[in-house]
Amino acid sequence: MSFFLMLLAGFFLPLFPLSMVFNALLARTKNPIVRVLLIFIWPQIGVFLLAWAGLPLDSGFFVGWAVLTAIFYAWRLLTVRVLSQWGGMLATSAWALAWIIAADLPANSELHSFALWMSVAPALLIFIATALQERFGAAYSGLVVGLARALPRLSSVIVVVVLAAMALPVFPSFFAMLVLLAHASTFFALPILLTWLLWSWAGTRLLNGFVFGPRAETEAADLSSTTTWGFIGLIVAIVVINLIWTGA
Amino acid sequence: MSKLPLGKRLKIRSMVHMAAEPIPNFWPMRTFIHHNPLHGLEHLPFEQAVRQGEKLFHARGFLPRADYQRYNKEGRVDQNSIKRDIADFVSKQETLNGLDLASLLSDLMCSVKNKVTRTRALADHNDVFQALHGKQLENAETFDLKALTQRLCAQFSPERPLYEAIDLLFGTQMGTTLDELVIKSCLDFFDEGQSTIQMPGRHQGLFAAWTALAKRNLRLFLRGMHIKQILDQDDTPEGIIAYILDELGIEETHWDGLITRELTRLHGWAGFIRWRSSSKHYYWAEQYPGDLIDFLAIRLVLGLALIREHSRQKRTPMTAKVLQEYIEGHTAECYLRQAYYGGCILPAFAHDVDDALSHKKPQKINTILPGYLRQQRQFEATRQADALRDLASKAGQTDALMAMDAPQIKQLMTLIEAFENEEGMIWLRAMESVYRREIINQIQLHAPHKKDKRPFAQALFCIDVRSEPIRRNLETVGEYQTYGIAGFFGVPVSYIGLGKGSEVNLCPVVITPKNLVLEVPVGATSIETDFYSSASHVLHEMKSSILSPYFTVEAAGLLFGFDMIGKTIAPRRYTKIRNHIEPKAQATRLLVDKLTREQADSIVRSLQRTMIVRAIHQEFGIEREAVTDAMIRELREAAMDNHHEQTEFARRFALSPTAETQFIAGLKKDYKINRSFVSMQMERLARIGFSLDEQVFYVEKALKSIGLAENFSRFVLLTGHGSTSDNNPYESALDCGACGGSHGSVSARVLAHMANKPEVRRRLSEQGINIPDDTWFVSVMHNTTTDQLILQDLDLLPNSHLVYLERLRNGLRAATRLTAAERLPALEDHPSPNIDTVKAQKRIERNASDWTQVRPEWGLARNASVVAGGRHLTEGANLNGRTFLQSYDYRLDPKGRHLENILSNPLIIGQWINLEHYFSAVDNEHFGSGSKAYHNVAGRFGVVTGNLSDLRTGLPAQSVLKDGRPYHEPIRLLAIVEAPAAFTLEVAGRLPKVMSLITNGWITVVVVDPETGDRLFYDRGEWYNLNDDPQYSPSVKPLLEEELSA
Repeated sequence: MSFFLMLLAGFFLPLFPLSMVFNALLARTKNPIVRVLLIFIWPQIGVFLLAWAGLPLDSGFFVGWAVLTAIFYAWRLLTVRVLSQWGGMLATSAWALAWIIAADLPANSELHSFALWMSVAPALLIFIATALQERFGAAYSGLVVGLARALPRLSSVIVVVVLAAMALPVFPSFFAMLVLLAHASTFFALPILLTWLLWSWAGTRLLNGFVFGPRAETEAADLSSTTTWGFIGLIVAIVVINLIWTGA
Repeated sequence: MSKLPLGKRLKIRSMVHMAAEPIPNFWPMRTFIHHNPLHGLEHLPFEQAVRQGEKLFHARGFLPRADYQRYNKEGRVDQNSIKRDIADFVSKQETLNGLDLASLLSDLMCSVKNKVTRTRALADHNDVFQALHGKQLENAETFDLKALTQRLCAQFSPERPLYEAIDLLFGTQMGTTLDELVIKSCLDFFDEGQSTIQMPGRHQGLFAAWTALAKRNLRLFLRGMHIKQILDQDDTPEGIIAYILDELGIEETHWDGLITRELTRLHGWAGFIRWRSSSKHYYWAEQYPGDLIDFLAIRLVLGLALIREHSRQKRTPMTAKVLQEYIEGHTAECYLRQAYYGGCILPAFAHDVDDALSHKKPQKINTILPGYLRQQRQFEATRQADALRDLASKAGQTDALMAMDAPQIKQLMTLIEAFENEEGMIWLRAMESVYRREIINQIQLHAPHKKDKRPFAQALFCIDVRSEPIRRNLETVGEYQTYGIAGFFGVPVSYIGLGKGSEVNLCPVVITPKNLVLEVPVGATSIETDFYSSASHVLHEMKSSILSPYFTVEAAGLLFGFDMIGKTIAPRRYTKIRNHIEPKAQATRLLVDKLTREQADSIVRSLQRTMIVRAIHQEFGIEREAVTDAMIRELREAAMDNHHEQTEFARRFALSPTAETQFIAGLKKDYKINRSFVSMQMERLARIGFSLDEQVFYVEKALKSIGLAENFSRFVLLTGHGSTSDNNPYESALDCGACGGSHGSVSARVLAHMANKPEVRRRLSEQGINIPDDTWFVSVMHNTTTDQLILQDLDLLPNSHLVYLERLRNGLRAATRLTAAERLPALEDHPSPNIDTVKAQKRIERNASDWTQVRPEWGLARNASVVAGGRHLTEGANLNGRTFLQSYDYRLDPKGRHLENILSNPLIIGQWINLEHYFSAVDNEHFGSGSKAYHNVAGRFGVVTGNLSDLRTGLPAQSVLKDGRPYHEPIRLLAIVEAPAAFTLEVAGRLPKVMSLITNGWITVVVVDPETGDRLFYDRGEWYNLNDDPQYSPSVKPLLEEELSA
């Protein structure tokens, strides 16, 4: 029963190739709100299933599988150019790491919060992808480069969200990663750090594919200042709530 | 030996030379020369050359429309000029029913932000017509595969480098990799002392040295680039070029086109190599020769190796023929490939196409293509229709547009496309019209009134635009008269500074100086080096060697820290402190007078004697006191083959005949005491200085050319200029262009020396120029960054003048402060209102020593005109530092020789400076050098962006742009000449180059005729009298037309 539950959890805290279900579902869903909801709810189901299976996990097999999945998807991020797909794969890579915490924790509350905070950046990326899609027909990296000077407000928001996706300090995913490292053994710490490094590398490539480079020749309109401030407000609120939550 | 016949080799050489013609020379940054980036196209009319330059350098020749519209809002564009040009354009077009073309085009220019003509690969006028009326496209499902193949084949013509085509079709990065490899090779070879380890074998020349290394380059070999196989085919670069082009399957008829494209890909490097290979006296070129044939051969070798490597690993085409076959056999795939990798794919298809291409699914590709073509056609038609609708709506002519049928839509689109191609020129002419009107209104045509009172001082400034404000301010503070003259004062000098080993030409680059001037110290040279200099030297050595930097940082890092803090926080005070610590510059004199044969002979003999004493000491350990002058003289004669018997020295020290012969042979060979070397030394010494005749000639020419032949004041200030700034590779771009990009103070000192010489003055008085005995020529250095005027060689000043020195200094200081206060607002973002002149001067001084300052001064930005005439024309007028002022009095120039000189030197220099600024402002990325913030000095002769890039030519963004928009108003140079019109044109007619620049529209001209009061403006083959402005009408001047057509 426990093995079956864990296998089922492998769909929600995705383990490759079970992870393909989530990514296919995300790709088929077009409505951004539904996508965001999917991103927030999906991993929480996985956490419930793991808790049902019994925490802490005693299966090194699943944890090893999860770590390999995290590295694999982080590696895939380097070549994926569709932004929403990128967000989905980032989520897949990040959620898989929850298995490491699950192996070290008797309670599931910290696991829920880890999954939640790791879902923030992918969810924000969905909004960015929608904004880009509305303007250019697709949110595809490398197609319209040099947005920094053409659409400075949208570019600023992209930069902030991608920095959050790279789990840099102040953003929730950074503290979540610290929690993760605190629970990881030395054996797993290295693959975790490698995954983190790959996110940063992929994030930089993503920024190069949208923001930097010679000024984009585009007639598309920039984000309105209201939307920009709204977005910034949202990000600040998330950061503050996270800081309060984690007691940082 | 080359396998290629000599004839073929020569043909390839000439092909490369011809292909490089449009590439502008690039001079080393140490002496930055402003130049026209389209210099090689100056034989064409301006507009045509700009179009060709745009294609060659992938650049933009005019500003984007939005920038012109901004100028329009600011009132910097003449609406009448636009109307006139639009009317002119419309008059040549067929009418379109119901459309007011003039109004439509006017709205297109002034109200529509982006180009109305959109790129359309598939949609034709019928599609646009359908889209305009919201209908479905006809035959939307069909597409012509054959036409698609033809279009692709045309896109990938044989003149396009094969690697470029493969990159575009397969997403490889061969072009970028190739550029990087070529740049690295160039940095290695052309290095002028920046690298710690030098490339071996550079004396053999670029291709030979590179070949020797490349054949053993393990890194390239491991990467799969088999360079050796290619290089083994021939020993000469020409042979290699021919082999590679044959291997790639390029027919010979396409070679020249391909070579031009290869060379223009890195046009900065190509321009530098082109200049270097033609500069025979350039030290580094003499030592390490290299030319464009070598450069091209290296590029082609690396390119072929990359193509072969990719072909092996990724199965990409290896020859032009295979590529052509691939396109014909895989048209659908190639079409989608070029769209995807070329970055022009419809975004909605990007993912699917990427997926199909990367998984090599021909079925999927064939399925995607029809849908893609349909969507692309629809997208293009809709986009074009929207643009037309938007234009018509802004012009209030929507109904007329919607009433048009498809053929009329086609006619309209063709017309708009033609107009948008000419639009840049219309904006440019309209902007020039505003400026022309402004300056012409400021020109005072009345004759100069003679001043009874002798001025306190007369100051000759360079014609540079930065002299205009300080001249104006100097004139306001007292009895000063100012003149404008080219900053080298008409004296071409080759100069060797104290402690320097090489010559610098202080004159425009179009002139080669014959005379050499040496700087020599006054008094004894200090033998012991002071502590500060020694410490600096040691630190520098430690910084530049291989291992020592690792511990230098630990050991002396703190010292650099102090330096850094000082330079950053309080640059002005810190520089003052450093100046106190640093050893003072030695007092020097210039050797300006020609040496007589006897003097030169005496110098050579003296040197030889010194060498003989040294040789005796080194060979035999004999001290000087043991030998006599007679012995030395005899040994010298023996070495010079004037004495064949045993020498007294041999007898005195009992040398055997063999030992004596050997010693004398050593003197000849090792110590260079021989006839041929003496002859060479004498030749070199003969270049030093100017003969009396030359001095008289140059002083007379300088004075007469500016109209200063009488009423000399007590002080005549010869003001050379230069700039000072810290951490600025472009410092020399701010120096004097007329002095070949160097400081002008040496030229000032040279002319002052000549003009103060009694013998010169005596000879001048015989020619009618009477310089009073109490007149003293003083050289002055004008620092254009701080506007300080520093008097030089004051120790030579006669006692009678010392009492006036303080008054002179006060006057100069006042002018400095007034100018600083005038310039400050343009340099600071938020200048304080009503700042006093003293504070302004301090703030300006800070710029010169602030190492974080990317814009120490605006330099020649906003230059727009040159005025050749008397000061009365512009006296009192604020020309905002935009005008080159050349003093000229036609009445002193009956034969027009001085005007000839002005038109062929200062005017040409002004035109180069102006066009350098123009093109750097309109497209800073391609014609300029981008932002300074990313620049790194390369090889001590240029800058690159980041760590590897093409050599950045042109001016940095900070010199011409402010907040991303042009600070320099890009308009062509307006030359205003004050002289009778017929006389001016007769003189200009003698100068084919100048006439070509005028008739081809590279400069615009107004002749101010003081005798008739006419202000004649030349425009596109017609003369207009601006007195009839604004609707200027053709002037009936058959004489002028004849002159011009001649």
